[in-house]
Amino acid sequence: MDAFIEGLTTSLQPMNILWIVIGGFLGTVVGMLPGLGPATAVAVLIPVTFGMDPVSALILMAAIYYGAMYGGSRSSILLNTPGDGSAIAATFDGYPMARQGKAGEAMALSAVASFVGGIMAVFGFILLAQPLANFALRFGPAEYFLLMLLTLSAIVSLSMGKMVKGFISMSLGLLIGTIGIDTQSGVYRFTFGITELSEGLDFLIVIIGIYALGEVLFNFLTIDEDSKKERKKVGKIWFTKDQWKRSRMPMLRSGPLGFIIGVLPGAGGTIASMLSYSSEKQLSKKPEEFGKGAPEGLAAPESANNAASVGAMIPLLTMGIPGSGTTAVMLGALIMLGIRPGPLLFENQPETVWTLVNSMFIGNVALVIINIVLVGLLVKILDTPAKILYPLIVMLAFIGTYTLSYTAFDFFLLILFGYFGLVMKILDFPLAPLILAAIVGGDMEQNFRMALSASNGSLGIFFNSGVSIALLVLIILSLCYPLIVKAFQRRKADPIS
Amino acid sequence: MKKWLLIAGATLALAGCGNSNAEDGADFPNKNVEIVAPASPGGGWDLTARSVQKALQDNELVTENINVQNKPGGGGEVGWKYLEKQDAHTLAVNSSLLITNNLLGTSELTHEDFTPLAILSTEWLSIAVAPDSPYSNLEELMNAIKEDPKSIKIGVGPALGNNDHLSLVQLAGEYGIDAKDLNFLVYEGGGDVVTALLGGHVDFVTTSMSEVKEQHLAGKLKILGISSEERVEDLEDVPTYQEQGVDMVFPHWRGIMGPPNMTEEEIAYWDEQLAAMAETELWQEIVENNDWDSYYMNSEETSAFLKEQTEMYESLVEDAGMGQ
Repeated sequence: MDAFIEGLTTSLQPMNILWIVIGGFLGTVVGMLPGLGPATAVAVLIPVTFGMDPVSALILMAAIYYGAMYGGSRSSILLNTPGDGSAIAATFDGYPMARQGKAGEAMALSAVASFVGGIMAVFGFILLAQPLANFALRFGPAEYFLLMLLTLSAIVSLSMGKMVKGFISMSLGLLIGTIGIDTQSGVYRFTFGITELSEGLDFLIVIIGIYALGEVLFNFLTIDEDSKKERKKVGKIWFTKDQWKRSRMPMLRSGPLGFIIGVLPGAGGTIASMLSYSSEKQLSKKPEEFGKGAPEGLAAPESANNAASVGAMIPLLTMGIPGSGTTAVMLGALIMLGIRPGPLLFENQPETVWTLVNSMFIGNVALVIINIVLVGLLVKILDTPAKILYPLIVMLAFIGTYTLSYTAFDFFLLILFGYFGLVMKILDFPLAPLILAAIVGGDMEQNFRMALSASNGSLGIFFNSGVSIALLVLIILSLCYPLIVKAFQRRKADPIS
Repeated sequence: MKKWLLIAGATLALAGCGNSNAEDGADFPNKNVEIVAPASPGGGWDLTARSVQKALQDNELVTENINVQNKPGGGGEVGWKYLEKQDAHTLAVNSSLLITNNLLGTSELTHEDFTPLAILSTEWLSIAVAPDSPYSNLEELMNAIKEDPKSIKIGVGPALGNNDHLSLVQLAGEYGIDAKDLNFLVYEGGGDVVTALLGGHVDFVTTSMSEVKEQHLAGKLKILGISSEERVEDLEDVPTYQEQGVDMVFPHWRGIMGPPNMTEEEIAYWDEQLAAMAETELWQEIVENNDWDSYYMNSEETSAFLKEQTEMYESLVEDAGMGQ
């Protein structure tokens, strides 16, 4: 308790509050820009943090991390161009809302949803850090494989009405995931002797290409002066009572879900937001409104991905194990500063941990304010004429891509995926299954093979633990869900049978 | 037409500047210095590059600006290929991957394609088991492997052919075990390997000592042996491989090199600055915080060392059945 109070006082020092606000703002900005993510922002700041008090540095880096979760959905909502995997789910209903002239409402709602998820996760951190870290350890290769399979099956079942297209899209994503070195055998696959491909395609290039560039190209085809005027409506900058009522419960459910998934090393915000979206759709009384601007379809993943970013701090701090790209960079920076995350951190430097926890409280409060203030500014983007806006997006897409690995080779990939995205949009293929499969496909395969290698080839390992059986049940449920819905609809339409 | 002339003129002028700088070796360095970390932010190479940047700049050993460039891909290949085409203002961090990539057939490059400048630091490797493991020393573990190699699952990451893997190949060889029989689960990185051991998904892991040190101190897992010459600070209870009767010391070193065709003056300049850097308090503090050990060698020693290492890795890669 003493350590908690000490942590609270430390995090309330004016200097530290300043760092929280700076970090949160910086995170929001990098989160908004395609390609520039929190990992890059934290890495660039490493030399700066050298001179800082280690605890302040930790607070600053964490603020950038969850700040990016707030910012990430801005471009998803306004332009249908997510900057990172965890912001993809925000395009599903966020962008339709913006098209209906509710951009302001959507952004305010997503900021509040992020806040709710974040605060719930901070409470979860305080109460459950240690037991959850132990729970996460029970996830072996078999469990990870099933978790990723569940994510994929959930996303495919979302593409109701165009199931076949959803499957094709997912399969293409899985194909993309096989490019690069196969870690179990050390063999290079589909690299065609190109060194830049040896570690696989960076999924961010796929995201930026298919969404940002694809969206711009698609709009070039469909552009006309009338649509511009129609889109000038941006709506209010605060959500309605009805929207709040519909999103309240989904936010509260998605927070804990995202938090728990965030604790699993390697799972992270993408899987969290996708699973929360699909489970809310399945729970909803109006699933047909999902994908057409349902406020709860935006609120749920936004709450989940921010909660996941707080959850990801748990394996980092309790075991010294980074669960995501950003936490990996943070780990490196902390070690250089002499803070050694690991099982002894809570015993030896509890005040450090509690300062961070308290700073996350303050940070989330600051961020919800920052982001709501920014809504008024950001909706102006929609007023920007297409001839200025689209070239700007293209420029940002190229800059973002370049910062991933500083090689011009990635530009070719970006353009390739841009045209790929355009074709998919014209043919009305869902984009999300492809992206998601490209993100998790490689890991899913490796985990599958590791599981089999551990069991000497027996498939029994996938039924071996309570966790894997629970996951299997969920997979079957999510696959059967569209069939069940169809059966119900048929009964409704045809009351005699 | 005028515009074109202007552009052409400007280009010529710029090209002229570039030339005059290169010829004028006396005031080297004369522009921004770049350190290439041939990996994404967060790993050992990135940390080394940023530490060198910090130590050189804060101690005012290099007054020009120093930038760190991350160029990930191909286990260093992308960054090093980039270095090949630069001048002596660009350096790149390296490690034994510079040698093994070539031996494993994934790269054409060797250390001879560059100008080795220094070895900077090293980590030590270790073997760790769960605290309730039936094996309490290396010998018991190795004997169990000898009896039934497939029954013992080994966690390693992020790829076969790296130091974590090859040091175990050498260790197993010392006990007369054929490394091709070992049952490896290849995880994405050092952190995942530790998680797998903590969760009981593998029987033991071979990884950097720094990855498992905190867990060992907390009693969450047990380090059976360490590849250093002497026992290391804070882990006085862990015997070295040598103490357990295995004649091997295995450093996981990291160094720095420049592009090919550097002049003697340029090599001398970097030798002087890097030697001075290795002595600074700041550098030593960074080394200690990272659980590295100082391992400084100058450019001449480094060249000889790399030759020796190449021979050693050649035979290990052969033993692992990965030779090309």
